[in-house]
Amino acid sequence: MTFSLDALDRRRFLRGTGVALALPWLECTAREALASDGNHPAKRNRLACFYMPDGVPMPLAEDPAHKDWAWFPHGQGKDFRFTKCLDPLEPLRDHVTVLSGFSHTAARNIHGHCNADQFLTGAATGSAGTYHNSISLDQYYAQHVGDQTRFSSLVLSTDGGTGTPRGAHTLSFDRNGRAIPAEHRPKRIFDMLFVKSNADAARRLAIAQSALDDLLADANSFRKTLSPGDQHLLDEYLHSVRETEIKVEKAKQWVNIPLPKVKADALKLEVTPEEPRLFLQTMFDLIYLAFKTDSTRTVTYQLGRENGIGISDYLARAVGFHLTHQLSHETKQPGGWKNFGTYCRFLSEEFALFLTKLKETPDVGVNGSMLDNTLLLFGSASSAFHLSRNYPLILAGGKNMGFRHGQYLNYGPQKPQGGPWDGGPEPWSQKANKEDQPLSNLFVTMLQQLGVETDRFADSDDNLQAALVS
Amino acid sequence: MTAFRLRHFCFQHLLACLAFAITFVGHTVTADEPTIEQPPPSEVLSLNQLKQRMAQQSSYLGQQANKPLPAAPEPQLQRFQDKVLPALTAACIDCHGPDEQEGHIRIDTLDPDLIHGQDVQWWLEVMAVLGKGEMPPADAAELADEDREQIVNWLSSELQTASAVRRSEQGHSSFRRMTRYEYNHALQDLLGLPFDFASDLPPESRSEDGFQNSSELLHLTQVQLETYRQSAFKALNLAVVKGDRPASNYWGVSMDEAAKTCWDQQNGKLAKAKKDHQADPEKLADEIERLEKSFRQPPNDVHYLQRSSKRVNKAEWQYHGARYAFAPSATLPSVPESFDTVAVLPPYRKLIVELGDQVGERGTLRVRVLASRGVKTDAQPPSLRLEFGWKASNDSRGSSVISDRDHQIDAPAEKPQFYQWDVPISQIHPRNGVRNISKMGDLPTPSEFIRLINSTVARGDIYIHYVEVTAPLYPQWPPQSHQRIFFESKHADDETEYAKAILQRFMSKAWRRPVTAEELERKLSVFHAIRPQCDQFEDAVVEVLATVLSSPHFLFLSQPTETAADDWQLASRLAMFLWCGLPDQRLTDLAAEQKLRDPNVLREEVQRMLADPRAQRFSKHFVRQWLGLQLLDYLKVDRKVHRGISDDLIESMAKEPIAMFEEVLANNHSVLDFLHADYTVANERLARHYGIHTEWGNDFRRIDLSGVSGRGGLLTQAGLLAMNSDGKDSHPLKRGIWLLETILNDPPPPPPPAVPVIDLADPEILKLTLKQRIENHRDQAACRSCHQKIDPWGIALENFDAVGRFRDKIDGKPVDASSELFNGQVLTGAEGLKRFLLSTRQDQFVRSMVYKLSAYGTGRPLTFSDRSEIESITANVRQQGDGLATLIEEIVLSDLFLQSKRSTKHAANSSDNEVQNKSRSSES
Repeated sequence: MTFSLDALDRRRFLRGTGVALALPWLECTAREALASDGNHPAKRNRLACFYMPDGVPMPLAEDPAHKDWAWFPHGQGKDFRFTKCLDPLEPLRDHVTVLSGFSHTAARNIHGHCNADQFLTGAATGSAGTYHNSISLDQYYAQHVGDQTRFSSLVLSTDGGTGTPRGAHTLSFDRNGRAIPAEHRPKRIFDMLFVKSNADAARRLAIAQSALDDLLADANSFRKTLSPGDQHLLDEYLHSVRETEIKVEKAKQWVNIPLPKVKADALKLEVTPEEPRLFLQTMFDLIYLAFKTDSTRTVTYQLGRENGIGISDYLARAVGFHLTHQLSHETKQPGGWKNFGTYCRFLSEEFALFLTKLKETPDVGVNGSMLDNTLLLFGSASSAFHLSRNYPLILAGGKNMGFRHGQYLNYGPQKPQGGPWDGGPEPWSQKANKEDQPLSNLFVTMLQQLGVETDRFADSDDNLQAALVS
Repeated sequence: MTAFRLRHFCFQHLLACLAFAITFVGHTVTADEPTIEQPPPSEVLSLNQLKQRMAQQSSYLGQQANKPLPAAPEPQLQRFQDKVLPALTAACIDCHGPDEQEGHIRIDTLDPDLIHGQDVQWWLEVMAVLGKGEMPPADAAELADEDREQIVNWLSSELQTASAVRRSEQGHSSFRRMTRYEYNHALQDLLGLPFDFASDLPPESRSEDGFQNSSELLHLTQVQLETYRQSAFKALNLAVVKGDRPASNYWGVSMDEAAKTCWDQQNGKLAKAKKDHQADPEKLADEIERLEKSFRQPPNDVHYLQRSSKRVNKAEWQYHGARYAFAPSATLPSVPESFDTVAVLPPYRKLIVELGDQVGERGTLRVRVLASRGVKTDAQPPSLRLEFGWKASNDSRGSSVISDRDHQIDAPAEKPQFYQWDVPISQIHPRNGVRNISKMGDLPTPSEFIRLINSTVARGDIYIHYVEVTAPLYPQWPPQSHQRIFFESKHADDETEYAKAILQRFMSKAWRRPVTAEELERKLSVFHAIRPQCDQFEDAVVEVLATVLSSPHFLFLSQPTETAADDWQLASRLAMFLWCGLPDQRLTDLAAEQKLRDPNVLREEVQRMLADPRAQRFSKHFVRQWLGLQLLDYLKVDRKVHRGISDDLIESMAKEPIAMFEEVLANNHSVLDFLHADYTVANERLARHYGIHTEWGNDFRRIDLSGVSGRGGLLTQAGLLAMNSDGKDSHPLKRGIWLLETILNDPPPPPPPAVPVIDLADPEILKLTLKQRIENHRDQAACRSCHQKIDPWGIALENFDAVGRFRDKIDGKPVDASSELFNGQVLTGAEGLKRFLLSTRQDQFVRSMVYKLSAYGTGRPLTFSDRSEIESITANVRQQGDGLATLIEEIVLSDLFLQSKRSTKHAANSSDNEVQNKSRSSES
């Protein structure tokens, strides 16, 4: 099947995709910091963030299902044991850290259906009324490294587009807090990454270059008519034009490099979520290829939207269930925890497969495996039934950034909220018996180790340097 | 004081003050401008009589314009030697003198010349410790209150002067870029589209005077430059179109059709009853009667009424599966001749008409509603409002009002009329984000709807008979906005010639002057460079036009130079001042003919421009910034205490000062009407808030206040009172500061840093009323000098609660709204306050208006050297009867506006000071 780009308005097309081109004039996520020289250190620090909806099994300790089907591991620190929900990660034990007892402070008392929007932003997106979001972790990082690759970031989801406020179909939000539409069709993603992008990028660059030359000429001739004091004001403008020129020059460096040759033979690019396992594998493969070809350093992928509606709710069909969200509601039924856990195990299997692939691929031009140079966050903004606390989180990879893994960092309460929903007050509306750590503190450490100089993100009040970094 | 500082001041500091912090120092009465207040005349005049009587006694009458002014400010060294140094020496020298230097500070060697000297930082320390009462310590020499006041007053005045001098040394020029809102209006004027084009630009900060267009603040960053280019690009792409006219979708929804399932259900119930009770005719009759009766019980919600049968049924709507969506047709359905069913819309109720996912992205959404009043006609006709919205899933929805105004529904029930709105689809936010992702019927649903709302204040149902929707509608193709750029031309076949013609026209409009051949050639060469990269001619042109709009020639406003006498610049600045946008053809023509500097022409142009609808932008932006109305946006009304305060009411409050300004401007009424007037401009909602029940409808109109005691003028407008409250109770301090800054242009000095807080848990303190607490606080020596200046103004407005309602009791106790000014003058309530202002502060207020409008009009901070122009404009205005339009004319015709070029070098060397808008020495 061929896909004709020319049939579409190019600009609209580019804006409507999950790929943000790292080009001046075009990009939604303009970078604030700009490296002053063109020589990048030999580093390829990558970030990938994944979101699973619907929370995870949280049977109470006295429940027989607790032993095998509680999502969080048993034990703590180095001394922990994965349950069946996560044990596909056992071979990668030294490359992962499981965290509990974290959540974003602004959304703790809100029904879990509303909270995917703020998973990477930490914004007070609320449960009703006016909606404001803020920049997401990945876009914050992309501001710093986005100009070093062909694409500043890759934004993916199973459902596609932006979704709606409090019903996001994307994990990524720009610096104005606007949702960045996610791409969900493997064929489109592949074409954008490896087939179509160069011609259009070169075209945009040529236009940008002409425009900038012209603006510079305008500004210089204008400047001559001004008094010295006023010239000073116009210098801000001139400076901005020059900064943009530097960005165009940088962009040229990689646009002139031909598109990476990637064999698509093994990829099933027409797959849809109706074949969930294959779909997930294809999406993970595309991310792997994007990283491997250094097309981008930043990826988000929302495995599914919240609230059990939309095509992503079919994911559980991979393991023989009808709808995913329903599994989280039916834990009171016989085998309920096991069913829900089986679905989570399926996600763990695919995630583990992806990690293994990264681990087994030596990185190009830098030391270590791709996994050592890629930091991955996998999690959800709810744990027990609609509860917006104690997010289930896995941090993986990034050993070359200093991460120390092989541990279960348990900041959660002795007896976490959980148990099957019996029709009474839901966990999310009950009082918590221990206050969580701000998840933004983890984000600060992630950004710092990725190489971003910052000591704050959203509502952070600290960092996790001591616990996570060797 | 900037809005930021005001907020900071209020929240950080004032709250602490009310908690009995020992605080404020400083007093800004300067020695050369003693304040002598004129007692009001002995016989009791009405406020209007007073206004006129005292206007006759202005010191500006008979005054020559441009009288010589005192030289640049000098330090008050004599006052220091005579009064301050002896007091300082007596109290401080033991520990901070030649023998000892506690805390490394030695008081007797500090340079008392704060304007030229180097010791300002030390003096700030002195100010802080004396103000807070920290020094002298209890075991050391005593400092009498009187002496402390001497020192603090002198120091405060000297610090004010010195800081103003320093500020002026940074230079000032009105060369600046456009503000966010000016950029937006400029694009609107250029493209002929009333859209929001600036939403991606960062918000502007505010100057000390509260203005956003002040040259010192308008910086530019790389990110902003990219945003300008992107915004221009987006704007141009909304103006131009490609290809054939997109097909329109049409919906024609009669309430007969909408209600059909309701009647079917009712008939189903009847049929079921007949079947169930076949064997028992008596029971059947009972049941039928019960059902028929229930079918005629109107719910207090939106419902359908079948007029022939008098049956009613609640108008249900559910988002799920988009089952209520009406399918569009490809042609405009004809309107049925008559309707049996109407949708009855009681006050505040909403009727949803779901349209599915075919509304489109651009073009116009036209909604025509055949509506009437209900059969029960109350005295007032109700109002109809239009919203757009969607509900994608159970927890994700959005909606917004899309009607630019409410329609008043006058038509009687038997003769309904069409009421129409045209809404640009690209401007509707938020849209349903899954509309191109999900399919109709799926979850989340991509469907969208319009919602008709009875927005009446009074009672009165609306009948909806028929709703007709067209979207996307393009009455003209290509649209006018496209043809403005790609106009018909005989060169249309020759790309180069056509591009040149397009560029010439567009550039001179955007850059507000003729373009040179060289400039045109350069843009044309950009076109040639870009053309091969673009499939179509139009694409390449749009790229170049986006560059024209990112150029400094578009983004920056340069100022007229004395030498060049540049008429183009003048036209441009006039348009920015009075329209917040671009000059029109007539201004451009006058500039081309070099006639604009003719005073008669200029005067005529100001009048013409003020009468143009674009002047509403000026009223809105100036009034919002002058009065600091953004505070109302941040106000959180405690709705448990203040019931019935709707968002609509707050919006009306925010509109009232602007509407009043427009009224004063349109009629060239005296600016003193802002101090007191026997009218206001409001709608029914606001009138009711004021206890006036003679008005109806949501439109703003002039309302007579002559019979309404206590109201009139800005000071008693609900919005301004409310925004200076804390949302629960009044806040006399905020109100006092606001009055000083905004109305009298006499801002109190900023509070000292670090305010110690006294224990609020003290039961003695809790027993006091708010006014008593403030008075108690003011009795502290360190606080008195400043608070004497602030508090009385606010206390006089205590008859107005946190939402601006009139009250005569607070917690069951009578309101005490009388307060004594520092000069012994007693202000009794709002009436007394206005009386005082009208009898003794007219000159100060008119000068304040001149100052504020001049700072806004020139787009730069005013300095000491602008003082003589301000005085001269004020004199001209007072001599001509204080008209607001006159005032604006006088500013435009002044050297301040026409010849605002000043070399920064000069400014840096002069010892400029800010214009001090203090009360004058004599007004008699």
